[in-house]
Amino acid sequence: MKGEAGAGMEDDPFIFPNETPHSLTEHICATTLHEGEAGWTPLWWWLGLGFALSLLGMGVISVAWLFYAGLGIWGIDWPVAWGFDILNYVWWIAIASGGTFISALFFLLRAPWRTSLNRLAESLTLCAALCAAIFPILHLGRPRFFYWLFPYPNTMGLWAQFRSPLVWDFFAILAYVLCSIVFWYFGLLPDLATLRDRAQKRWQRVFYGVLALGFRGSGQQWRHYQPVYGVMAALMAPLVVSVHSIVGMDFAGGATPGWHSTQFPPFFVFGAALSGFAIVLMAVIPLRPAMGLQPYITSRHINILGCLLLTSSLCVAYAYVMDVFSTYYGPDSADRVMFAFRLHGLYAPIYWGTIVLNIVFPQLLWWRTVRLNQPVIWLICLGVLIGMWLERFQIIVSSLARTQLLSAWGQYTPTVWEWSLLAGSIGLFLTTFLLLVRFMPMLAMAEMRTMLGNRP
Amino acid sequence: MIIAAFATESALHEAAVELRRDRACRVETYGAAPPSGMGTSSILPLVMLGGGMVGGVGGFGMQVYATTLAYPQDIGGRPDFSWPSYIPASFELAVMGAILAGIIGYFIAVRLPRLYDPVDEAGSMQDVMTGGHVAVVRGADNGQVRDTLARHGALRIEEIGP
Repeated sequence: MKGEAGAGMEDDPFIFPNETPHSLTEHICATTLHEGEAGWTPLWWWLGLGFALSLLGMGVISVAWLFYAGLGIWGIDWPVAWGFDILNYVWWIAIASGGTFISALFFLLRAPWRTSLNRLAESLTLCAALCAAIFPILHLGRPRFFYWLFPYPNTMGLWAQFRSPLVWDFFAILAYVLCSIVFWYFGLLPDLATLRDRAQKRWQRVFYGVLALGFRGSGQQWRHYQPVYGVMAALMAPLVVSVHSIVGMDFAGGATPGWHSTQFPPFFVFGAALSGFAIVLMAVIPLRPAMGLQPYITSRHINILGCLLLTSSLCVAYAYVMDVFSTYYGPDSADRVMFAFRLHGLYAPIYWGTIVLNIVFPQLLWWRTVRLNQPVIWLICLGVLIGMWLERFQIIVSSLARTQLLSAWGQYTPTVWEWSLLAGSIGLFLTTFLLLVRFMPMLAMAEMRTMLGNRP
Repeated sequence: MIIAAFATESALHEAAVELRRDRACRVETYGAAPPSGMGTSSILPLVMLGGGMVGGVGGFGMQVYATTLAYPQDIGGRPDFSWPSYIPASFELAVMGAILAGIIGYFIAVRLPRLYDPVDEAGSMQDVMTGGHVAVVRGADNGQVRDTLARHGALRIEEIGP
């Protein structure tokens, strides 16, 4: 048995054998250009967009009120001065990483399964990185001065404080967002040219023609394209690791119980991989039937992503164990008090929820029958995303709520404006992703044509 | 110029090889995928290395200047020149410099953006990015070129412009 029935999933091809470069191009172009039988703007897309825009509207109202009334509308205060703002930033930037891991790291490893997934994964990266980038700006007391972080010549004679991990973070976000856009767009260039040549409607020819910038597939264009794309991938792989390491150093750089740890950079990279693979799986599973992508994204891809999810979950489990070990083996009593608070204090359900959703449930993926069951995998991924959000909450809030001084202990309760901002960021993510799904090819046609052309 | 469409990449490749023996003949092939056996000799990786070095060294130098000359500050008793703190931002700027050098260098090397090119007038060019195989021949005797292309099984031969 093969494919969806799945007993022999390891024997499944990465692309169905009856697919040719021409059939692939036709199918993806027809889907993207909304033509023929594959042409679509189905009801689910409109419903999804309506839902996403309603969430986005909540976020816009929340941001407008924030700009008007200031940070006092949030639940943050001393000692918990970081709340949903930084929590959501770290959560989104971690989600963004999955696409880069798949498109860059596995490109370097020459993994054949990556070709079917990289465009989708990179698109998810862009949308999530966009959501992540807005939070650090919003959490500034004076967001209109966010550019003060950038070292530019100014009459005040001021410079950024280059010894601060928060300034490193600014450079990391800037580099990651900018490089992700460039990497995504550069990979898209040949496909935009394909859509330009295939489009029937004038507005589509103009739209894709302008975006394709005149790429025509000449030998010279291909000769330079390959090495540049390869070097970009080679750079994106360490970049994504560095970004999450620096996010980890935002915390490790502070002398706060539970944060001041050398394991934080790799710990954050593990978490980023886990949530990144989860979001890719969550997108792939419904989009396969919805866009007719089953011939190109087979159950073998789902299986591989499931294995990657399990592996990254085990890495995160190791980090959690080391967190406990270093706390109780180490000399700092404040660390132990804080950790006890995590285990059975006010926020204990959040800590144990993190363990269950990030570590316990993904262990089901050891069983092939579970990896074959797409609804179950989807639910595990949803659990992982919620679990990663809870993990950020417990790292940020429980550490700040139990600092070294008893007199400085406190707690944090998010307000409706913080919840609406989180909903708004989810709305922004869904809106941008749905627009990309609607107007951009979700498979890297040029790469897949090469792969199909080389198939024995 | 003469523009010819071929059914297969191998036919296109053979025709191009033969035409290129005439030094006066400038041949460019077009296809939806990188030509098989194509060399990947490009100066752009070196350009990216240069961009990365400019980004990295420039970023490091900027931080040294800012913290030692322009705006020295006592931060937790660290020395003004606390170089380990400069590494993260320098790395990010190096990657950014390399990737921006890559895409800008690519556009310069292949002369993009170029929304109009005379070759677009040929009908064959409409099929290139959807799976066609096309050769564009300039600067040679048109009669001889046509004969060569026909011998290699060109499906369609067009003559465009002067």
